Amino acid sequence: MNDFEPVIIAFVCNWCTYTAADLAGTSRLMQPSNVRMIRMMCTGMVDPKYVIKALLEGADAVLISGCHPGDCHYINGNLKARRRVKLLKAILKRFAVDEHRIKMTWIGASEGIDFAAIVTGMVKEVKALGPNMLRRTMVI
Amino acid sequence: MNGGIGSVLVIGGGISGIRSALDLAERGCKVALIEREPSLGGILRQLDNQFPSDHCGMCKMLPLVERDAGSQYCLRKGFFHENIEIMLSTELAALEGDPGKFIATLRHKPTMVDAERCVGCGECVRVCPVEAPDAYNAGLSKRKAIHLPTPHNTPNRYIVDAAACIRCGACEKTCPTGAIDLRLEARRAFRILVVDDELIVRDSTKEWLVDAGFRADAAESGMEAIERLSAETYNCMLLDVKMPGMDGVEVLKRAKEMHPDMPVVMMTAYATVETAVEAMKIGAFDYLMKPFDPDAMVRMVEQIYTSFERSGESKLNVSAVIVSAGFEPCTPTEEMGAYGYGAMPDVMTGIEFERWIGGAGPNAGRLIRPSDGGEVRKIAWIQCVGSRNLRFDADYCSSVCCMYSIKEAALAKELSGGKVDAAIFYMDMRTFGKGFQGYRDKVEQTDGVRFIRSRVHSVELDGERNAPRMFYTDAEGALHEEVFDMVVLATGQKPPRGASALAEAVGVELNPSGFCKTVDFSLSRTTREGVFVAGSFSGLRDISESVIQAGSASLGASLLVHSKGGGIAEAGKEAPGRRDISREPPSLAIALCRCSGSAGEEARLTAIAQAVEKGGWADHVFRVERLCEPDGWRLLAEQIKAGKNNRVLVGACLPYAYSGKIAELAATAELPANLAAAVDIRGAGGCEDGEDGSGIAAAAIAALAMGGAKLRNADPSPHPPTEIIQKALVVGGGVAGMSAALAIADHGYETALVERTGELGGNLRHIHHTIDGLRPKELMEGLIARVESHPNIKLFMNARVAHSGGRVGAFMTSVEKGDGSGETVEHGATVVATGGQEAKTRSYCYGESDAILTQREFENRLQSGAITPGSLESVVMIQCVDSRETGRNYCSRICCASALKNALLLKEANPNIDVYVLYRDIMAYGALEAHYTRARKAGVLFVQYSLDSKPEVSASDGRPSVVVHDPILGRTLALRPDLLVLSVGVVPDEHGGAARAFGVETDENGFYQEAEYKWRPVDSLNGGVFLCGMGHSPRSIGESIATAEAAAQRALGVIGKKHISSGMGVSEVRQTFCSLCERCVIACPYGARWIDEEEERIVVDELACQGCGACTAACPNSAAVLRGAGDHGMLSMIDAALDAVY
Repeated sequence: MNDFEPVIIAFVCNWCTYTAADLAGTSRLMQPSNVRMIRMMCTGMVDPKYVIKALLEGADAVLISGCHPGDCHYINGNLKARRRVKLLKAILKRFAVDEHRIKMTWIGASEGIDFAAIVTGMVKEVKALGPNMLRRTMVI
Repeated sequence: MNGGIGSVLVIGGGISGIRSALDLAERGCKVALIEREPSLGGILRQLDNQFPSDHCGMCKMLPLVERDAGSQYCLRKGFFHENIEIMLSTELAALEGDPGKFIATLRHKPTMVDAERCVGCGECVRVCPVEAPDAYNAGLSKRKAIHLPTPHNTPNRYIVDAAACIRCGACEKTCPTGAIDLRLEARRAFRILVVDDELIVRDSTKEWLVDAGFRADAAESGMEAIERLSAETYNCMLLDVKMPGMDGVEVLKRAKEMHPDMPVVMMTAYATVETAVEAMKIGAFDYLMKPFDPDAMVRMVEQIYTSFERSGESKLNVSAVIVSAGFEPCTPTEEMGAYGYGAMPDVMTGIEFERWIGGAGPNAGRLIRPSDGGEVRKIAWIQCVGSRNLRFDADYCSSVCCMYSIKEAALAKELSGGKVDAAIFYMDMRTFGKGFQGYRDKVEQTDGVRFIRSRVHSVELDGERNAPRMFYTDAEGALHEEVFDMVVLATGQKPPRGASALAEAVGVELNPSGFCKTVDFSLSRTTREGVFVAGSFSGLRDISESVIQAGSASLGASLLVHSKGGGIAEAGKEAPGRRDISREPPSLAIALCRCSGSAGEEARLTAIAQAVEKGGWADHVFRVERLCEPDGWRLLAEQIKAGKNNRVLVGACLPYAYSGKIAELAATAELPANLAAAVDIRGAGGCEDGEDGSGIAAAAIAALAMGGAKLRNADPSPHPPTEIIQKALVVGGGVAGMSAALAIADHGYETALVERTGELGGNLRHIHHTIDGLRPKELMEGLIARVESHPNIKLFMNARVAHSGGRVGAFMTSVEKGDGSGETVEHGATVVATGGQEAKTRSYCYGESDAILTQREFENRLQSGAITPGSLESVVMIQCVDSRETGRNYCSRICCASALKNALLLKEANPNIDVYVLYRDIMAYGALEAHYTRARKAGVLFVQYSLDSKPEVSASDGRPSVVVHDPILGRTLALRPDLLVLSVGVVPDEHGGAARAFGVETDENGFYQEAEYKWRPVDSLNGGVFLCGMGHSPRSIGESIATAEAAAQRALGVIGKKHISSGMGVSEVRQTFCSLCERCVIACPYGARWIDEEEERIVVDELACQGCGACTAACPNSAAVLRGAGDHGMLSMIDAALDAVY
């Protein structure tokens, strides 16, 4: 599986994590190109069906990243997301989706270094997990 | 910007400057925002977390309505707004004219990098050989001589640190866009004459200057210097003071006659410093003390050169000016007690500590010991370094250091998982702001930070452990020593560099501490009419207070603009014409930016274009040269305009840089703003890439496909704005309510003022003079007279708010009048100012003796003559009665000032009175510190007590008896005063349901709950309802007025326009799918959704909705949708992201 390059869909919040991702870029931190970033105004609008859809369509993992608790531009959207992700992990486990394929993090606007590190670490983890076979095995 | 009537100049791009600019811009006023640094944000650039929440929330300052007029991203990156012109590296040179028609002269600093051409590629950094300390990280890390001033700013243009640059020219050669011009020729043409009789000084100085790229000549005597000056032209002279024959001063005099504009720097030995200072009075620029540091000398010449080179001057016509020049953190020096700063790497200042642990700091957010990178187990904070220090001429409290130290201690605890031992060494812990006391208690009790009341004597290096050893005396006077891994100095602040020059240019006076002077009861009016001040330039304040004061300043400016008939609001520009394309099928044009033109790039672009064409979802794909340059962008705009496509997607690098331009591009093409977007096709500049570049190409294709999917599904239908009732309602007729009502009415809008009692004035009736000697009564009479005669104010006396319904822009409120009749008032915005009052107490035997009074009763009797100071022998005052402890755990902020005021009054009237003030922490924040000093000098005795040893009072024989432990004497004092005065603090007034009627919630102490303590201090969470006065938090008169003005300004932001739109991303209801489960109503953090029982449907308040999409994720039926970001668009984006893979 050495040449397996996972694809990660990242739902990132417009205010904090997207800023951090941009900072990682302008700071020229090396980061893998496996991530497809979808900028949302807030992680609180990440509908569980987007995550399920991504996994069903073949994403090897999904990252949801917003502001630190208390920093949310919309007061508490990130906490709503945290609740949803926790439930979603529990539910998807029953469908044989490894919970490591879904990750939720807080990355503040100045934490470009953290963003690069988290993404790099996640790619490594998912490489170890191997490809997500849902698209091939799941029959809906 | 054309300037003219209706425009305002804001000087300084920190928090207050940005807040003032946004306030005015939201109202339709044109603003020029100038900042002398190359990036916006002021001190906030460097602070990742702010007290008392430990979070950042700067973005919450951005407009809540008309959001599409400006940027919607992290404000720490910078911002744009269609009504604000931002000019960086720009200073004010002069301000002429009169209020309403000022002419400002602006000086633009040359930066050596053309901001228009620099694309931020960073090639220059790679070749630059010089490393210099990074000011962004407070000098704790290194960066190149050419660098980004703030790593996360946008647009982020590189700048050259002229002092560090060795002018090797490598960057100039490598820059792909030719944006860098070091102007070496111009530098070589700058001629300097070095005059010194000592050969070694003369020659080495000359050599250093030549190395720095200048042209220097030397003269060995005064006579030779004069000869050279008459023969040739020099731009600058370095002149020795003491020379045989003609001495420096004589040469200076002669030189000034010949070339009055030539800057002369005196070079002096220690013995002749006074002569050098004298020389400055007759025209020398500055002096250098020998032996001098070559770098310091070159820096000084550099400074002269920069001002000489500065050619870019421009004039601007403005109606008003707001100065928000900020402050400067002070650097610890020996005289203020350096505590080993500079000598030990483990001793650093507060701001350095912020960077040391910052996410973008030198350690990427880790806490390690500076000296050896080891583990940090113990940290000490030393308070009041550079503040509250008479020797250092700083007879003021910097107001923020107590809180930032508490925050830093809490952050250190968090970073170390609670393992670090954090101790704060302080004199008074000044937790006077809203929520501060609770924050301190949490950090002390839950996080376990130690608070030690003490005086720190010194910090020395412990040789054995190679760590700072601290010597201090505790409150009882016992000497202790303790070794720490790190010592953080809570350095105070001082006026900004160049404050006096700026004050002179603007024409305002400074106060004795060097901060901007404000007049009367205003926090924002300066000594020059039409010039307002905001933020720390008028004395130290935290974010919340700066934001409030910025509101007050911008209100002053907008009133001036309004009174001069300026074009605020209604004259706002016409919305750009937009094509109605709601019935057209989507047609997408993709523009790919061609950057270097290299073979590799060409191949990649071809691959991308082919993939896009193969995908078949774009209608037109083309390439444009260098979109980052003005020419490229112009070409793109022309092509888009000529084309028939109704969606535009730009593929380039650093898409943030385009956010502002994209909006303009959409307008040029007459498209709705949400139909144009930019995506990154160059892998964020740092992607790891396969050898063939396939990784980046794949990511780019996916990014374009996703961007395209989003645009195709974007909703182009135009949306009508909401109509606004252009009237306001103010509840409460105290100083805040009256000020707010007048501010709104003066702008020409009808205002209803509802007062519960039969008289206006509120607490002002009880205050006879302020600690600064001002007369509140005169203020009150003036306000009442204006309110009563104002044609736009309708007064409801003896009235109360019975009920209010509606939403922002359209409230319907029933006012119940004194005679029992009712009246319905329609209004678009509400200001709530229901006030506060002196708390009731039963503590300390209050009520058992006539000799035990509250501070207010005491003041009243003192003023009425019922108490005569001459007849008193001793008075005891007890501070913090029932406050700052369980039950009422907050500081009332005004009691210390009142106690100081009355204690001083007693002492002035009768110096023989013994006045004892029993206190816990004297909250003499900011300029009040000077009064505290004055009171101690006058002989007022201050005795500190703690919660576990409160004074004991008895009044058995009618005369109070007070027993208190004095920690300094180590003894118990038994006092038998004539009077015992209790500082009982402030409680919010019974709001009479008024605040509740408008949905204003209260905090645990009964004060209004604001939307966000720091960034939206006068907003309630309910749209269109604003908060001010003592019902908000205890405040002095001036501070209350500032909140009132800030609240009025926010209210004007709503009612100042006939129609307001919210933004593109507003939530909607698809009624056919809605099952009325109301989950969206619960999910909405803004109360923007509710159920209309009669119509049986969910309704959205468009102006309150901020477009966060919480409702859309909560809705089980996809009936709640965010316009422009519906499920369909999102799902097709996910498809697009993965299609390229499978």
